[in-house]
Amino acid sequence: MADTSLEIAEMNTKQYIVVQIGSEKYGIDIGYIDNIVRMQKITRVPKAQSYFKGVINLRGEVVAVMSIRKKMGLEEDVFTDKSRIIILKLEEKGLLGIIVDEVCEVVTLSDDQIEPPATGPKKGKDSFINGIGKNGDTLISLFEVSAIVEEKEEK
Amino acid sequence: MDVSQYLEIFIDESAEHLQTLSDCIMSLENEPDNKDTINEVFRAAHSLKGMAGTMGFKRMQHLTHDMENVFQEVRSDKIAVDSAMIDLLFKCLDALDQYLENVKSSSDEGTEDNEIIIKELNDFIAKANGEAPAAAAPAAEAPAAAPAEEKSEGPEKKFLHLELDDSETAAIEDARKSGNKVYGFTVYIHPECLLKAARAFLVFRAVEDFGQIIVYRPSSQDIEDEKFEFDFSFYVSTNEELDAIVAAAKDVSEISEVVAEEITELPAKEEKPVEAAPAAPAASATPAAPAPVKKDDKKAPAKKDAKPVTNRTVRVDIEKLDALMNQVSELIIAKNSLVSISSQDGGSSSNQGFHEQIEYLERITTNLHESVMKVRMVPIESVVNKFPRMIRDLSRTLGKKMELTMTGEDTELDRTVVDQIGDPLQHLLRNSADHGLETAEVRKERGKPEIGHIFLNAYQEGNNVIIQVGDDGNGIDTEAVKNKAIERGIITAEQAESMSQKEIVNLLFMPSFSMAKKITDISGRGVGLDVVKSGIEALGGDVETRTKLGEGTTFTVRLPLTLAIIQALMVEIRDEKYAIALGSISNIENIPVTDIKYVQAQEVIHLRGSVIPLVRLDKVLDIEPQDDPENLTVVIVKRGDSQAGLVVDNLIGQQEIVIKSLGKYINGNKLISGATILGDGEIAMIIDTNTLI
Repeated sequence: MADTSLEIAEMNTKQYIVVQIGSEKYGIDIGYIDNIVRMQKITRVPKAQSYFKGVINLRGEVVAVMSIRKKMGLEEDVFTDKSRIIILKLEEKGLLGIIVDEVCEVVTLSDDQIEPPATGPKKGKDSFINGIGKNGDTLISLFEVSAIVEEKEEK
Repeated sequence: MDVSQYLEIFIDESAEHLQTLSDCIMSLENEPDNKDTINEVFRAAHSLKGMAGTMGFKRMQHLTHDMENVFQEVRSDKIAVDSAMIDLLFKCLDALDQYLENVKSSSDEGTEDNEIIIKELNDFIAKANGEAPAAAAPAAEAPAAAPAEEKSEGPEKKFLHLELDDSETAAIEDARKSGNKVYGFTVYIHPECLLKAARAFLVFRAVEDFGQIIVYRPSSQDIEDEKFEFDFSFYVSTNEELDAIVAAAKDVSEISEVVAEEITELPAKEEKPVEAAPAAPAASATPAAPAPVKKDDKKAPAKKDAKPVTNRTVRVDIEKLDALMNQVSELIIAKNSLVSISSQDGGSSSNQGFHEQIEYLERITTNLHESVMKVRMVPIESVVNKFPRMIRDLSRTLGKKMELTMTGEDTELDRTVVDQIGDPLQHLLRNSADHGLETAEVRKERGKPEIGHIFLNAYQEGNNVIIQVGDDGNGIDTEAVKNKAIERGIITAEQAESMSQKEIVNLLFMPSFSMAKKITDISGRGVGLDVVKSGIEALGGDVETRTKLGEGTTFTVRLPLTLAIIQALMVEIRDEKYAIALGSISNIENIPVTDIKYVQAQEVIHLRGSVIPLVRLDKVLDIEPQDDPENLTVVIVKRGDSQAGLVVDNLIGQQEIVIKSLGKYINGNKLISGATILGDGEIAMIIDTNTLI
């Protein structure tokens, strides 16, 4: 009996890495994450989409690094000691780095702790979020990873 | 029998046999009496039949069987090769190709019986037998190795007629001295048997239980390679009874007859002709000849001896080679970082040994890279050898006389490039055949030979391979192209006025621009030269066109030898490092700023007679501009005949670099063809200079 309830509980929870971007906390499904690396030299790629900071050398692989702030229309990144590059691994397109201000913790959220994203007037930004997680008092916006990766027409 | 594991080998080898057939039939068309070619065709068809049968592809086997019958008749001079027959044979090949395609995609040959073709084949044979009973009589006497004829003569004791070399005679003598008896055997395999070598092997194994085999005819190697007809002979040294051995040999299935008796005196020694010793192994090397009974059998095969013995090769999955190449790339990156460490400490004398070792390492890695590259290189032959056939077919469908000459089929390219170059080349050839060449009447009027000439020349030039495809036809009518482009709204009439001939020709490479007046099967569907161009550019190459109205057109395709590792010049612009492929650089100049001139508001330099446009790399690459120093370092790059001067801040030096893709996220970037990791772990972008010229 105890076993089955545990299984059910497992099926309905997901682990998220909580990161700080600007003043907000965001959660990234741990299943997408390949690696977290410290800030390192990013080589600019001329003529690339503006939200790409460039590429880094990740143990012999060239990996594109995206400024999630730029993609979401926030102000420029400020690199500090706490800045990290989160390496996402996606099925078809391979590795992608995104820059975050700080990596805070890993949380486990079950379905009943996640609410659908608030539909407000600020639609453009909200489209990166597929839910809001509540961990105690803190609210965590959960990234829709496929939306981050998706190519959008630049203005 | 589970044959699925052999499927890939079957597909590869069948494709080879089909290609041989196609080549031979092409040459038969020109010289229908060439016996060597006919034999070759027969052999290829026979192997194909055997393989298809083994794999259980009955329809394929059936069709090849009937084809083989036709060749059999040709070989015994009952039918002459004519063009109707060639056409039919090509139809067969197409049908076989189709089977093979089906096998490739679904591991099954499909359900098409090709009854019409089979019927036509049989008609041919029927016609031959009905018409030429007289011709059949001498044919039976001829040494043609028809199994039926051999059977009617009864099992011949061929082992009595073997010619032995000295070591073999010695072995027999030795056997006798040690008290053993020597028996001679001739074994006949059932003519329907598909795995003759395997049967022979089983016979040998059975016999070796009794004694030692001391003489093989044909040689054991040839038997293993199935280079024999339906019989083989051998001598056994043993102290067992003859009957027991014969019974054991007969126990092997698909053996139709075993004849044997004791050898009391060495056969054929006194009648051995002087030249027989070298001729005998030559004869046994060809499957067409039965054991050398008659002298005139030996002459023809002896000529064949010049053919190279099958190469010793290993088939390797291309993925494994890719993996190996990646490892080599990693090694080169690691080596580069060692090199940069060693150059940092300034070459102090205490470290001399270290520096020497680094240089040694550099040599080894460069050699290793070259070796791996060579392994991946295959001759373009595999792609281009289907073209003569294609041109022949085109000649029929278009009703134009034309011939294709090819040179440099043995030019080698990276396997990945070869795999993808076929379609673009085919397209260019079709283009030449359809649009390039005029009809015979027009050609006559213009005083050209009636037969149109199409050529494909391949050769290596530095780090590139050049493939030229062209014709001696009409050439490109630039006026017509211009008008068409204006009509299509691609350019305006004013633009057209100021365009150079070259620019107009380049219009042909625009998407969906077709010059065909009517759409034919061959070309003119609007998917045309643009596909050729993008296909070749995807491989890192480019196409150039040279044309003269009334005299012909030549397309020059330039391809890189390898895709993964290149020699590059490293340059610096402000604090960023970039790599430029060494192959595209013609020279490097120091130009005083005062030498810059302006043509049509464009910066140019005048260098040894040619005017070269300057490209400010900092501007192109969105780097903060700075004031010009007194002298500019200009890297002159070329693309075909055009040149451009790239302005850089500093030259770092030449380096072997590993090309890495930027990944699938960053896009819309033609200027940067990739990135590379430098010795210190930094990344440098690789500039595709072709986009700047």
